[in-house]
Amino acid sequence: MLKKLIAVLLLACLALLPVCSFADGTLNVFNYGEYIDEQVLYNFEKEFGVKVNYSLNSNPEEMYTKLQTGVSFDVVVTSDYMIDRLIKEERILPLDKSIVTNLDQLSDSMKGLYFDPDNTYSAPYLWQNVVLCYDTTKINPEDVEEKGWDILLDPALDGHMFIYESPRDVFMMAFKALGYSANTDNPDELQAAYEWLVKMKQTIHPSFVTDEMIDGMAQGEKWIAMMYSGDAAYASMENEKLAVWAPEQGTNIAIDCMFIPSNAANPELANQFINYVLDYENAMMITVETCYTSPNAKVLEEVTAPGGEFDGVEGYLPRMGYEKDEIYQYVKLLQEETPELLIKVKMQ
Amino acid sequence: MKSFFRMSYPYILWIGIFIVAPMFMILLYAITRTGNNTLTFQFTLDNFSRFFSDPDFIKVLLTSLRIALFTTVFCLLIGYPAALFIANLSDRAQTLMTLLMTLPMWINMLLKTYAWRGILLNFDFSSELKVFIGMVYDFLPFMIIQIHTSIAKLDPNLLVAAHDLGANNVKSFLKVTLPLSVPGIISGITLVFLPAVSSFVIPKMLGGGNYVLIGNLIEIYFQQTGDWNFGSAISLIMALIIITAMWATKKLDRSAQED
Repeated sequence: MLKKLIAVLLLACLALLPVCSFADGTLNVFNYGEYIDEQVLYNFEKEFGVKVNYSLNSNPEEMYTKLQTGVSFDVVVTSDYMIDRLIKEERILPLDKSIVTNLDQLSDSMKGLYFDPDNTYSAPYLWQNVVLCYDTTKINPEDVEEKGWDILLDPALDGHMFIYESPRDVFMMAFKALGYSANTDNPDELQAAYEWLVKMKQTIHPSFVTDEMIDGMAQGEKWIAMMYSGDAAYASMENEKLAVWAPEQGTNIAIDCMFIPSNAANPELANQFINYVLDYENAMMITVETCYTSPNAKVLEEVTAPGGEFDGVEGYLPRMGYEKDEIYQYVKLLQEETPELLIKVKMQ
Repeated sequence: MKSFFRMSYPYILWIGIFIVAPMFMILLYAITRTGNNTLTFQFTLDNFSRFFSDPDFIKVLLTSLRIALFTTVFCLLIGYPAALFIANLSDRAQTLMTLLMTLPMWINMLLKTYAWRGILLNFDFSSELKVFIGMVYDFLPFMIIQIHTSIAKLDPNLLVAAHDLGANNVKSFLKVTLPLSVPGIISGITLVFLPAVSSFVIPKMLGGGNYVLIGNLIEIYFQQTGDWNFGSAISLIMALIIITAMWATKKLDRSAQED
């Protein structure tokens, strides 16, 4: 009898464990790795008397799959095209504009993006583009500037390149090299891009990695990397031999935004968090820590002004207003095909 | 006796929820089409034909089996002499050596693999060799501990008797020690081969993102494309291969004991 009782009690404890973590004052945040100043989270916890559970993912596809499983997050940061998709699928709660009042601190170019013209559902978090970051002592800058993405087909780079393992970005590079749109829904162009990548893989055998390339480039592990501008800015601040280049064939403009999933457990606190992050002081802390571009107008002006944190840092401020640079849209064909094609590229 | 059985109920419940039910779901996903809801299932074998009709996937499967086999054989080759050496030490030295052997296992595998990444950076090895080194390092203790346990249990009188009857060291090893340590070898092989064939962190971190094993393939379908049906089919194919391998080693074990 006693044993039965103990067994039942143990099970009850087990069942209670997850319940405890879903108490009222908990905010579940889902973000990319290396993408925040954790002090912002601590300050928020202290100021609002709540607990923040902070989880990480490495690309929008992974984030989407996680949401699919029904896990509840209150605030998620992800990329433009994935938000486009989620809005269309009606899986996002509208922001409570009576709480999120700091939207007016955003730069004009960051307000009303194509997928959310009135910022009904999303608030920009940080933005960037995809660039080439290279070691000027190993590669001639003229070469990079002349060839752009096609330098990836240069046999001299064999074994010396990092590529960020994000299907959409890798295919963007191939599309741009071939002169196509990064938002193509033409299967023939996708096939051509796949063949371009296979040729690239067989020529230079790049390492497909994620955040380890940031320190890798800073320490001179490889000569060249396809990376996000913020990471490139960080690496080039650490290692002065590095230069950053956005190819003339065009690249993307990626705007990562915060949103509240429709199954959020604590939407009110989520709105408060979004407003908190948009605010000048916190936006400043986040951009300084991550080296990614801030959507906050005042912050951006201050850090790029003479003597500012990123004054003269290559890569911090992405190229703007260039017609060949595109913001990603949700394209079903690319969403479904690119992850599998990318792994096939790696197998070659 | 009966009350002892009752104490196993929580464990049986545990197995039911965390092992049997998920296995059943993998099976269900593997034989259905994407886009099912809870009410309608469309059964299909397409997921399997898709896997076996694609030469790229077959290549991944063969690579996984090959590297797991190499890892197991190599672990056995260096693990057996090590285990034999440890078993012949004094009791105190044995305790110390076993402790040293298990010491690396106190450190998280991710951290160890990360450290290897740094070390191997300085060498111009192929991705496969790097992954192989990482796997041997990680799985070797499992082999040594299993073999050591079975050798240490050996009754020393058997060896004395063999020597009495005129067997030299080599002969007594071949006729006494080796056959009696077969169960240890078998469980060592199982403990190394199974994690090696399904490993995905080691190839991911040491292979420079260029080395795709079946574990990485499964990860892609679950994490990125969201095609759980196909991912489950690959998991199931792998599970069947592992079960066959275990059945074969069991068979080998039995026939060795009968000899």
